Amino acid sequence: MTRSWRARLFAALLTAFAAHTAFAGHEQSSSEFEVFLATEALAGAGQPHPRDDDAWFNADVIFGLTHDKFRVFGEFYVVPGEHELQRFQVGYELVPETLLWLGRFQQPASAWNTENHHGRYLQTSITRPSIEDWEDEEGFLPQHIAGALIESRRQLGSDGLLMSAGIGAAPSLSSDRYQPVTLVDNNPGRHGRALAAKIAYLPDYAGTSSAGLLWGRDQLFVRDPIALASLQSNHATLTIYGAYADWSVAQWRFIGAGYYVYVDLDSPTRDQSFVSGYVQAERQLPHRLTAFARIEDSSRMQDSTYVALFKDHSGDIDITARRAAAGLRWDYARRQALSCEFSHVVSLQQRRAYELRLQWSAVVP
Amino acid sequence: MKKLAANLCLVLLLGTATPVFAGEELVLIVSAGSAIDDLDSSEVRKLFLGLTVERNGHRLHPLLNESDAELKEIFLQNIVSMSDSTYDRYVLQLSLRQGHTQPVVYRRNAQLINSVAADMAAVSYAWRKDVGHDGRIRILRVVWHD
Repeated sequence: MTRSWRARLFAALLTAFAAHTAFAGHEQSSSEFEVFLATEALAGAGQPHPRDDDAWFNADVIFGLTHDKFRVFGEFYVVPGEHELQRFQVGYELVPETLLWLGRFQQPASAWNTENHHGRYLQTSITRPSIEDWEDEEGFLPQHIAGALIESRRQLGSDGLLMSAGIGAAPSLSSDRYQPVTLVDNNPGRHGRALAAKIAYLPDYAGTSSAGLLWGRDQLFVRDPIALASLQSNHATLTIYGAYADWSVAQWRFIGAGYYVYVDLDSPTRDQSFVSGYVQAERQLPHRLTAFARIEDSSRMQDSTYVALFKDHSGDIDITARRAAAGLRWDYARRQALSCEFSHVVSLQQRRAYELRLQWSAVVP
Repeated sequence: MKKLAANLCLVLLLGTATPVFAGEELVLIVSAGSAIDDLDSSEVRKLFLGLTVERNGHRLHPLLNESDAELKEIFLQNIVSMSDSTYDRYVLQLSLRQGHTQPVVYRRNAQLINSVAADMAAVSYAWRKDVGHDGRIRILRVVWHD
């Protein structure tokens, strides 16, 4: 019954806004529809099976409708054997470049995901840093919130300030993954409060560079006995402190982020904390080529029973403690790219793997 | 006589080596009926990067002119100051982050001019030779010249 009610509401919202697309020529109405496609091949040694984010095919469908100050935005992600409405937001533009959104959205305290989302074409490298993995791809930080989000981009002379803050329902926690609130299905388990924020300085208001601070706090309730036994706590509060920079200088681009994560568990269990970070350098070359290299590292993750909760019990290297990766991307046609990436991975258990990935990514239409 | 022929050949060869846009001007255009009086370089850049630029309470609409390769190259170098792929990804990222509408792309000059003429909030760019004679279009300023 609940599912049916939500599905009807979702369809009604889409229909209501779709009706406005008839005013395509009207000065204040417009629509967006993009599909990000990617195929990937993986070979290597030391990694028995592809990780969840190494599906041979994925499609990320984006749709957006704007009418006057109202906006509807959605993102539907498809991989073989799985599909999910990752984002669905209804927004109102309070003033230019300041939007209030309601719905399910990406938590703003992630440096990588708020820029690249699920669309593989947007990121230069094939892999994403392990600390930025999605909840359903073995990620161990919550990445989605259902609630309210405010985003603002303010101009300060030629510089700018980017601010976003979200509040809402956090995921629940099962034995190997988070279960974020879904808008089109039932949500078993208890969902605590999630808060996340980002503030960033833009040296050029309309430019690509930014640097800032990230903060998040998620109240997570354990929903199965395996997780309860591992943590010896039925509840955890995750506090994330981070800093990042995404800086472009001529043909160079540098992306770096560091996160300190504090896990507050019920007494008498000891609280835990760990650190993770990465630096990626990119260099544009002639013939629409871009070379890139990234180093990821972490500290105290191997001691954390909380992080161990997300370990794939099949024995794969599913949680990366360290990685060195390098590769090349070729934007051979408009909105199409071929990439290759070689990486050396060290898992939490000090197992090593070498991986070679090839990827085609595109955006249509 | 031989020398004259050789000189003639040299002149002809030099002539063919000149870029196709030699002596041409890239101009910023709006509809003749538009209330937009001027846009400075930073406003033009913001507009084509997908950010909000308003005049008299109306949000301006950027229209991308990709009717020829040289024009696109000059646009990327002189208006948005980005490479092709960086620009494309930037506009897509903005669209994914805040639901911004991406600039509409036109690959035919005639269609672009018709759209600019019909939309009082539209802003685009074109070669002067393609719009200078059209009474429906007003030139705001020269963006680039040879």
